[in-house]
Formats: sequence, structure tokens, C-alpha cells
Amino acid sequence: MNTVLLVEDEKEIRRFVRLALQGEGCQVSEAETMTQGLQEAANLKPQLIILDLGLPDGNGVDFVQRLRSWSQVPVLVVSARSTEYDKILVLDAGADDYLTKPFSVGELLARVRALLRRSRADNELNTPVVKFGTIEVDLARRLVSKAQQSVHLTAMEFKLLSVLLTNAGRVLTHRHLLREVWGGAHSEHNHYLRIYVAHLRQKLEDDPTQPVYFQTEIGVGYRFQPQMGQVGFSQDMSA
Amino acid sequence: MRNLTSTFSPHLWGVLACLLTTLLTQPLLGRVDLANIVMLFLLTVVIIAVKLGRKPAITASFVSTALFDFFFVPPRFSFNVNDVEYFITFAAMLVVALIISHLTTGLRQSALEAGQREQQTRALYTLAQSLAGAVTVEQVVLETQHFLRETLQHELRVLLPSSQDVLLPLAGTTTHLNAAESLMVHSVFAQPQTVEMGSDNPPTLIVPLVGVTRPRGVILVSAPVLQRPLVVAVASLMATALDRLHFVDVAQQQKMQIVTERLRSSILAALSHDIRTPLTVLYGLADTLALPQHDLPEPLRETASALREQAMRLNNLVNNLLDMARLHSGLVQLRKEWQPIEEVIGASLKLSGAVLQAHSLKVQLADNLPLLEFDAVLLERVFCNLLENAAKYAPPNSGIVLRVEQDWRVARISLCNAGTGFPPDKLQQVFEPFERGCSEQDGVGMGLAICRAVVEAHGGEITAHNPETGGACVTFTLPLGTPPVIDPEEVA
Repeated sequence: MNTVLLVEDEKEIRRFVRLALQGEGCQVSEAETMTQGLQEAANLKPQLIILDLGLPDGNGVDFVQRLRSWSQVPVLVVSARSTEYDKILVLDAGADDYLTKPFSVGELLARVRALLRRSRADNELNTPVVKFGTIEVDLARRLVSKAQQSVHLTAMEFKLLSVLLTNAGRVLTHRHLLREVWGGAHSEHNHYLRIYVAHLRQKLEDDPTQPVYFQTEIGVGYRFQPQMGQVGFSQDMSA
Repeated sequence: MRNLTSTFSPHLWGVLACLLTTLLTQPLLGRVDLANIVMLFLLTVVIIAVKLGRKPAITASFVSTALFDFFFVPPRFSFNVNDVEYFITFAAMLVVALIISHLTTGLRQSALEAGQREQQTRALYTLAQSLAGAVTVEQVVLETQHFLRETLQHELRVLLPSSQDVLLPLAGTTTHLNAAESLMVHSVFAQPQTVEMGSDNPPTLIVPLVGVTRPRGVILVSAPVLQRPLVVAVASLMATALDRLHFVDVAQQQKMQIVTERLRSSILAALSHDIRTPLTVLYGLADTLALPQHDLPEPLRETASALREQAMRLNNLVNNLLDMARLHSGLVQLRKEWQPIEEVIGASLKLSGAVLQAHSLKVQLADNLPLLEFDAVLLERVFCNLLENAAKYAPPNSGIVLRVEQDWRVARISLCNAGTGFPPDKLQQVFEPFERGCSEQDGVGMGLAICRAVVEAHGGEITAHNPETGGACVTFTLPLGTPPVIDPEEVA
């Protein structure tokens, strides 16, 4: 059974999130403050932390920074703030995903499932082959195919694709992606990133204007979202 | 009569001094060489020149030469001269006396002028000091008026520009200008250049107050004898003082503005947090109730989803209100970046998925659209608002078309539905806050007002029209600009 730690100071929000997670078969433990949350995280070793950004005794960004010094447990941030700057800060600090309040239970559960899958995948052997939809990517042999048809990607496109795939379900900020793919010198070239993502969508998505896998988080970054039940990760790994 | 004596008395004093010298040197006759007596007369001329000035000294030069001839040169008591050599003495004596009086009075004059200049400089310095301490425009004007009247006996009139650049006298005072003056004043203000009106009585100098960034006003100075350089110096002191007051004012206003803006943005942030928290609870709880595992009877499940929908509507309303408040208070800073427009369209379609469910949406993009420079977050709000509007005012299962075209300087984005169209007389007003296309539909019309604010902040235009084929269209433009170049080697 998965243990989820919920760090949130609003009692009523904790209530419905707990109900939703329990319905999903998770064991839920709650904390009201940052200090309590960090203690619980150390004691319980949860598989996922759901974190509110505005805690009474500190900022969610501090929480993530301190947590990341000893744990890689996935963190889903829930925030009433809608400014993109706050989201970028907490994602760059090491959070994996965010939801802006108010959010639907369905949305919350989808994110939770994706991150829990990630959490499991991290503990198991990695495979070089990733499948989503009709697309198959062999990261080791640098081969990409869509509906059995081989797709040609440039070196940079492949590099971007592999960074996105290895961080499935996570929101990657523009800065993070630029650093990973182009190196630190290109941190000002946001338009490079956007053009390459557009290339990937044109080559791999069915409808590039309404992407399913390579999703845009406006003002923040991108997320590779393998669709439910279609992901190759767990299948391949158990095989 | 007094005038006459004051003009002539220095000459009389000079002549008297010469006579006195003659009298005092009489006993020396025969004991001292005549050449030395000449020296004593020259000394007298020097003293007269120093004390009384040039003209008495010239008179004294002639008088002393004559007295020397009459009383000392043989034959005495006659202007006759025995020895012709004495004519050389007379000539030399006269010339030397004249030269001496000329040089000495020159020195005296410059000493006097230097003294005067020093006095004026000191007075200017005092004026500068008091202007530096002035804290109001009135004070600057009064100090200068006082200085010109007391030190130079000049009369000062001041005209300062109002906020609409109309020249006006200082508040609470009146300034009389004749027709020629009021004409000149405006041309001096428009083209800063000092003008002298010599024909006026008394003559008037019109001087612009030239500030660092813009003209600060015009002064009119009148006096029988105008001290032009001094007046110009006073004008520049005044301009500096007015400049300083202006910049102090600007700095204070900016400080106030920063404080108000900070306050406003923290109020908006707190408001946004405080409203969204209960909304999240409401929305989340209603959503949880509707979950299949609770197995609610159908009427209750419907109630739960109605609750959820209303909470979402309330949230959209709050979002729009807060967006509007931010846009209107000028708190929004555009974070423009070069990016493909497809991306923000894709994200907006995903966000608006729920409202678009009942409609079929078609996206028509022109080929090879260039990158555009815009704030993606704000443009996403534009698309979401437009999509929501298009869906709301269109019959169910009708088509909505989102089209992006490009002409030589703008990208043109239009969204059309198959609804009843905008009221023909309200095509302009629909972009005003709280205006609604059709009154029987619900929702407060803030969406289009937000769209207009965002589009105009990007340098674009937004219009509404009803195409002849039916339905309603909203079209907005974004300037194309020059997108950054992508390194071709890296693309390859």
C-alpha cells in the first residue's frame, strides 16, 4: 500500500484530499506545518508528498529544498497562488508537479497515480525502451518509431526527447530543460526550446496543435505525460 | 542748480589743488631746480586723477602747465617765455600730465568696477543660497523678486507653465502684460532665446527659464538701465531652482506610487488566496461526493455535480475579477518571449476542454507561421475567455473555428461561432467591462474586456463583427516584429 503524506494547513482541504486518496487505496498521513511535515517525511518514508505552498511556519520552497537534501520522494505541490513565478521557484527547488487550487479530484488522482508510478519506477531496473501510444523509443540505440514507421530525429531533438521521457509525469521548467539539453550557456534562448518541442510534436503527436504527450505548462515549462494504461514503463520493467 | 555744482565742483577742486601747489612751492623758487617743481605739479595731477577722476585731471593738467609758466618760468607773472627751451618743458609736462591722468583714472575705473562686480557676485551668491533652500515655487519667485528690486532696482514679472503648458502668472497673483509682450512671451517660451524690448518704457528683457528637460517658464525684467548679464544669470539660477523642485516632486510621487502599488498587489494576493481556499474546499468536496465509490442516488449525485459546477463558475468569476484588477492597476508586467502561437492555443484548448465538449472545434493555422513575441500566460487568458464566450453563445453541437492568418505586419487570430451574433449596435461596447452580448445569458461580461486589455498591451487590436454567413467573430492582431534567428547548424 502506498503511503502519502499530506502537508496542508487547511483542515477541510485535507479532508477531501484524504477521502479521495483513501478511495484510491492509499494510506494517508497528515501534517499541518512545515516542521511537522519534515518530521513525518523522515519517520514514515512516504511514497509521495502533497504539499501546500503557503504554510504557517514557512514557505513550500524551503520545505522542498530541505527535503531534497536527503530524499528523492516525489512532491506534488498544491497552491492557491497562480503566479507562474512561484511555480517555477518550487519546481526548480526540486518539486515534481503542481496543481493550482481549485482542482478537481480527478485531476489530483491522475497526478498522484503518475507520480506514484514514477516513485516505483525509480526503485526498479530501468529499461532503455519506452512505449507510449503507437510510439516506441529505444534510448540506448537511439531509435524512434511511430506506428512501426521509423522517425528521424536530429541529435538535439533526441536529447530533448530523452530528458522528457526520463522525467515522465514531471513538470520540467524552461530553465531546467535548457540547462539539461543545451547546457548553461543557452539559458536565455527560450525560443530554441520552444521550436524543438514544436518539432517533436510535429514528428510524434497525432495533432500537434492539441498535443497529448508533450504538454505545455504555460509560463512554466513542459511535461511528458504518458497516457493512462498505455505506458511502457511498468510493463517492460516487470517483463 | 545742484546738478551744475556737482558737475563742476570736481574741476574747481582740481584747480584749487593746483593753486595750492603753486602757493606752497613759491618759497622753493631759486633754491630748487625748476625741473623738480614740475615733478611736484605732476604729483598734484596724479592725486587729482586718483581722487576726482579723468576730467578734473585733464583740467588740472592744463591749469598746472599754465600756472608753472606764469609763476615760475622767467619772466615771472607773465605768460611770455624768454628761453625757447621751456616750450619743450611745457609740452613734456602737459603730455606727461595727460597720460598720467588717463592711466590713473583707468586704474581707478577698473578698481571701481571690480568692487561693483564683487558686490553683485556676492548678491548673486546670496540669492543662489536662498533659492537652494526654497521649498516652493512661490518662495523662488519672491526671493528673486526681492533680489532684483533691492540689488539692481529691476522689476520682475514671472510666468510659469501650467500642466497643459499654458503660461500663467504665479497662483494668486496677476501679471500685467501689454500686447507685444504677451506675444513675445510665448515665442520665447517655445524657442528659448532672450529678447530685449528696447522700445518699451522702461525697457524690458524677456528671458526664458531653461530647465534640464524642458522650459520652466519665462521672466520679464524691466528697468531704465538693464543689467543684461546679471539678469541672465538670475534666470539660470531660477531655472535650476525650479528644476530641483520639479525633480523632488517627481521623486516623491514615484515613491508614493511604489508604496501604493505594493499595497495593492499584496491586497490582491491576499484576496486571491482567501477566496480560492474556500472555493477549493467547496469544489473538492462536491467532487468527492460524486465519486463512484460513494454510490450516491442519482438526484444527490446531480446536486453534487451542480455544486461543483457553480463553484467552478465562481472561481472563473474571481479569476476574471482579479485579472481585471491587476490589468487595470497596471500591476501586470508583460513577460514577452518569442514562441509559436500553436503552443498557447494547444494549452488553452486543453484548459477549456470542459466548456468545448458540446461543440466541434476546428483549428486552422496558416503554414509557416513565424514565432511571435507575447506573454504566454496572458494570451492563454485571452484564448480561454474567447473560447468560453464562443461556446456559451453558440447552439449545442455547432462548430467553432479558430483561425490564424498572417499578413505582412501582423498575425490575425479570429474565433468564430455559429451563434446569433453580437447585437449589431453593440459591436464596440462588448469590450467594455460588465457589458454582455445577450442579456438573457448569464455571466458578467468581463472576459472580452480582459482580452482587449491584454491585446492592446501587446500592441494589437481586437474587434468584434458578425459575418454575413452568420454567427459571431472576434478577431485580434499581434504585431509580427523580427523573430530571433535560430542557428541553422543546430537545426540541421
